[in-house]
Parts: sequence; structure tokens; C-alpha cells
Amino acid sequence: MKTKLRTVLVFAKINTLRFFRDPLALFFTIAFPILFLFVSGGLFGNNSNVSFKVAIINQSNSQFAQQFVDNAKSNNVFKIDNTVTTLDAANDKMVHSQLDAAIVLPQDFGQKQAGKNYPSGQAKVYYTQNNQQAGTALGAILDAQFKQINSKFVQTDMPFTVSTEQVNQHALTSLDYTFSGLLGFSILGLGIFGPINLFPELKKQGVLRRLSTTPLRVWQFFLSNVITQAIVGLFGMAVTFGFAIAVFHLHVIGNFLEIGVYLAFGIILILGIGLALGGWAKNERQVAPLANLVTFPMMFLSGTFFPRFLMPDWLQSITNYLPLTPVIDGVRLMITEGKHLVDLGPQLGIMAIWVIVIYAIAFRVFRWE
Amino acid sequence: MTQQNIVVVDQLRKSYDDKEVVKGISFSVKKGEIFGILGPNGAGKTTTLEMIETLRPIDGGTVTLDGIDVAKDPWAIKRVIGVQPQTPAFQDKTRLKELLEMFAAAYGEKISVNEFLADVDLVDKANSYAETLSGGQRQRFSIAAALVHNPKVFFLDEPTTGLDPQARRHLWELIQAIRDRGITVIMTTHYLEEAEMLCDRVAIMDAGQIIALDTPKNLIKQLLDRGFTKKQHVEQANLEDVFIDLTGKGLRD
Repeated sequence: MKTKLRTVLVFAKINTLRFFRDPLALFFTIAFPILFLFVSGGLFGNNSNVSFKVAIINQSNSQFAQQFVDNAKSNNVFKIDNTVTTLDAANDKMVHSQLDAAIVLPQDFGQKQAGKNYPSGQAKVYYTQNNQQAGTALGAILDAQFKQINSKFVQTDMPFTVSTEQVNQHALTSLDYTFSGLLGFSILGLGIFGPINLFPELKKQGVLRRLSTTPLRVWQFFLSNVITQAIVGLFGMAVTFGFAIAVFHLHVIGNFLEIGVYLAFGIILILGIGLALGGWAKNERQVAPLANLVTFPMMFLSGTFFPRFLMPDWLQSITNYLPLTPVIDGVRLMITEGKHLVDLGPQLGIMAIWVIVIYAIAFRVFRWE
Repeated sequence: MTQQNIVVVDQLRKSYDDKEVVKGISFSVKKGEIFGILGPNGAGKTTTLEMIETLRPIDGGTVTLDGIDVAKDPWAIKRVIGVQPQTPAFQDKTRLKELLEMFAAAYGEKISVNEFLADVDLVDKANSYAETLSGGQRQRFSIAAALVHNPKVFFLDEPTTGLDPQARRHLWELIQAIRDRGITVIMTTHYLEEAEMLCDRVAIMDAGQIIALDTPKNLIKQLLDRGFTKKQHVEQANLEDVFIDLTGKGLRD
């Protein structure tokens, strides 16, 4: 038994070395996730405050209006598009979703009405049908701001008020949430597309057939692949974690060791699918359609890039049981909520069942040529 | 001369779909000889070898190798045979010394890699990748890989196909050296002069049957005894001799 395991380790060691000599494999395992990180980090990175892209069209020349504009520019609720100066231009941009809304301060905005000793006016918020949410939210924000201003000019009693307080200590950014999806995507790429490209190629050349003339057993071959992929995968994901933390301020609450163990289990699970497909296939053409059939549902429905909470309930309850879903959910719970392995019983349970099913199939359908 | 039989093939059969490609052949290979299987393409040579090598299920008959029934205990057979496939290929981006280490590990062995590379004149390539080798180098390396566990029987399937004359002669010397180490060699070829020079005995196969089996000398003698005369007059040398004389016997690769 000791000799048999040594065989596995020799194969794993040399195949790991081989992996790091392959620029293409390195690109897909390490550079590709980081590229994705930059794309998604760039998209979601700065939105810890909701910000609306608005145009302010100031038709008034009152001092109050000018102050209001300056004030709006300096707070981070609005991103003001300075290039828009007319309502027509704003309309054009809103139609193309380049602008959420336009705030128009009419000519009389901020002027003192006859008989009053304070300024007054009505700002108008314009928005299009596809920006209804932004429009109403903006209306509410401006309303609250004006109430504050009003109270400075006119004393009023406010018997009822609302105060809000944030209770979640660790504010989740979108990146914190999507990062586990990115890791899931990496595991999918490495675990499935690795073997389905490599094995048929090795079969075509007769490399695996040659191995089948030796006493090497299928389980030794599989296990050496699992070890190689786990080393390579964890290395790639450690680099991705490093970038996410250093550049995009990812908050990781959970324990890295536990996350590593969990991810390794995820790699073993998904790699089983790759071993089954690649081990079964005689050539690349045979395996491609089947691989897509297996991979696409997980790519789109397991919560890699599209949040599962946006799906209808029936779809969520089905996709709960896809192999990749518990991998991503578990990692997310560890990263964002600091859950431990012992808290992830349901996820680990689904994964364990899949591991048994998938590897049973992989051993059954494997062929050396 | 009584030599022990190391391989005994009895009534061996194989069919693909409805076509019988090996039709109940029987032969024995003596310990320490180079045994050649000759025949045109499609004669069933490779299929026969693959059944003895445990790579293909046996449809009928038995094969006993070193006292082990191939069909009953294929895993024990794998430990005592070395196999050189028709077109040896190795995984890319892996150094020769690493590949040898892997092959040894597959048999649960640890070896001195350099010794094995020295046997096939490839020490200076220890750190090269297999895909950078020439055809002759690859055949030689493949032989080293097949011998890491010191097998009792070594199978070669058309080892010299596609090699230039120097590389071929070099390979012949290597195969003889392996036989001299006490390893039984079973090889297929369709180069008849190769069989004549190298093999102690040859079996000639055609259409799934063995149609002749003896030493090359006896086979020729039997033919002459039947009154055969070659139409062409025999040259003292042939074009290959000229080529080797002009370009030298030294290996270039």
C-alpha cells in the first residue's frame, strides 16, 4: 500500500511540475480569474454607496440654486454629468441608459417670493420608464434634503420621525458577494475543461495505453490527478484571493485554512466530472457536446455570475442540488459570514453524495484508449 | 539444446465483430531468444501481441507467460513484461528523467535514471522533453522506459519502422544487448532482412494463421530444398551497404 501511494505521489509531483511549464494552463488558471476579478471589481468595486448618474440643469441664477448645485457635486450620492446642460441632451442620454435622471432647477428656483423672507422653489426630476427606480429614489432623496433645508428656514414641529441605523457590522460589497462565484467558475474551468482537453489528447497519442501496460491502477491515476489539480487549483485561488484583498479590499471573515479545505473538496468534486468525461471520451469531438451540456447549467444556475436569489423559487430549489451550487454557497458563507466547516452540513452533505455518484461513474466509464 | 519455454500460446483466437483476425494459433517462445513475428499488414501480428500483453481480451485459447495464465492474472503479467508500442509517445513538457521516474513508479520501483539513460545513449538528454527527440531517440528512450522494472519478456511492435539505416542498426544492437542480458524479446516486423539478422526464430503470419515457424536459416534452407532459385543474381552488397559505407555506421540524431 505504501508503495502504491508512493507511485501516486511521484505522478502527482511530476504532473504538477508539468503544469507550471504550460503557459496556456497557467493563463487559464491564474491570469484568467484575475482578469475576471478586474472586470467584476471594476464594475462593482466602488458602489458601497449607491450613486446615481444625474444631470443637473440649472436654469436659475439665484445664489441658492448655485449652492445647491455645488452641494450636490460634493456629495457622493450623485455622479453628476457636467456635459449635459439642456433637457433634450439629458433625454437623449437617458434613453441610452447613460444617465439615470435629470434634475431641473427652474428659473424661479431659489428666488424669494413676494412677502417671504426665505427662498423657495420646486426642483423637477425627469426620468424615463427604464429608470423608474432611480427616479423615485432620487425624488425621495431630494425630498429628504429639502425637508432639512426647510426646517432651517421655517420652524416646524415634527412629532414623528424616523431614524435608521446599520446593523450589519461588515458591510458587504458586491465583490464580497460575487467573489465566491468567481472561485466557483475557476473550479469549473480547471476541473472540467482541464481533463476533457488533456485526456483525449493523451489517448490519441497512445500515452495512456502505454500506462495501461504497467501495473498502474485507475485509482492511482485518478488520485494523482486529484492531488495535482488540488495543488494547482489552490495555488491559483490563493493568488486570486491575494489580488482581491490587496486591490479590491475583499473582506474575508472566515478562516483561510477552512476555506482552503472546503475549496479543495470542491475541486475534488468538480474534477470528478472532468475525470468521468475525459476518461470516457475517445476523442475531443465526442466529449465537447456532453461537456457543454453538463457545464452550462452549472455555469449559469449555480450562482457563479448570476445571483441565485434573483431566480424564481422553483428554479432555486432545483439548482440547490447542482454540484457546484453548494461549493459556491459554502465558500460565500465562509467569506461573508465567517461560517465554519461544522456549520456547512447541508452543503457538505450534497457535495459528498455527488462525489460518490460522480466517482462511481468515472471509474466505471474510464478507458485507457 | 533444451531450452525452457517462457511463453506458450495455445489455440489463440480473436474476432472483431464477425471477422476472425486470429484463427487459433499456437506457438512457444524459448527463454532468452529473440522471437520474430513476420507478416503483411493485417495478418494479425499486433492483435496477437496485444492479447499476450493483456491489452485485448482473449476470445479463445490460452496464453501462459512465465507460468502465469494471461487471462486469469493479467496484473501479474504486467509486472513481468515490458511493452514497446508501435509509435511510442510520451506526455509533453516532461523531462526524460521524470518520465523514467514515472514509469518506474508505475511498477513501484525506484531506479537510477542515469544508468537507464546511459544504456540507450541518452544521458545528455536527461533534461530534455520527449517531444524534442528524433524518431530514433524516441524509440531508444521508449525501450529504456519499457525496461525500468527489469521484465522477463520484452515486446516490440515494429520498432524500426520509419527509422533511417543508422538508427535502425543502432536499435538492432540495442535489442541484441537486451537479449544478452537474459531478457526474452518478442518483436513484430515487416522488414525481412531485419528478421534475418536479428531473430533467433521467426513465425510467419498471414490472414490470422501461422504458416511457417523456424530459424531464419532453416526457413531459407527448406525453401531451397524445395528447388527454389532466385531469378536475380545475388549481389555481394546491396544499396544499403553502400549507404552505410558512405555515411558511416555512427549514429546521428
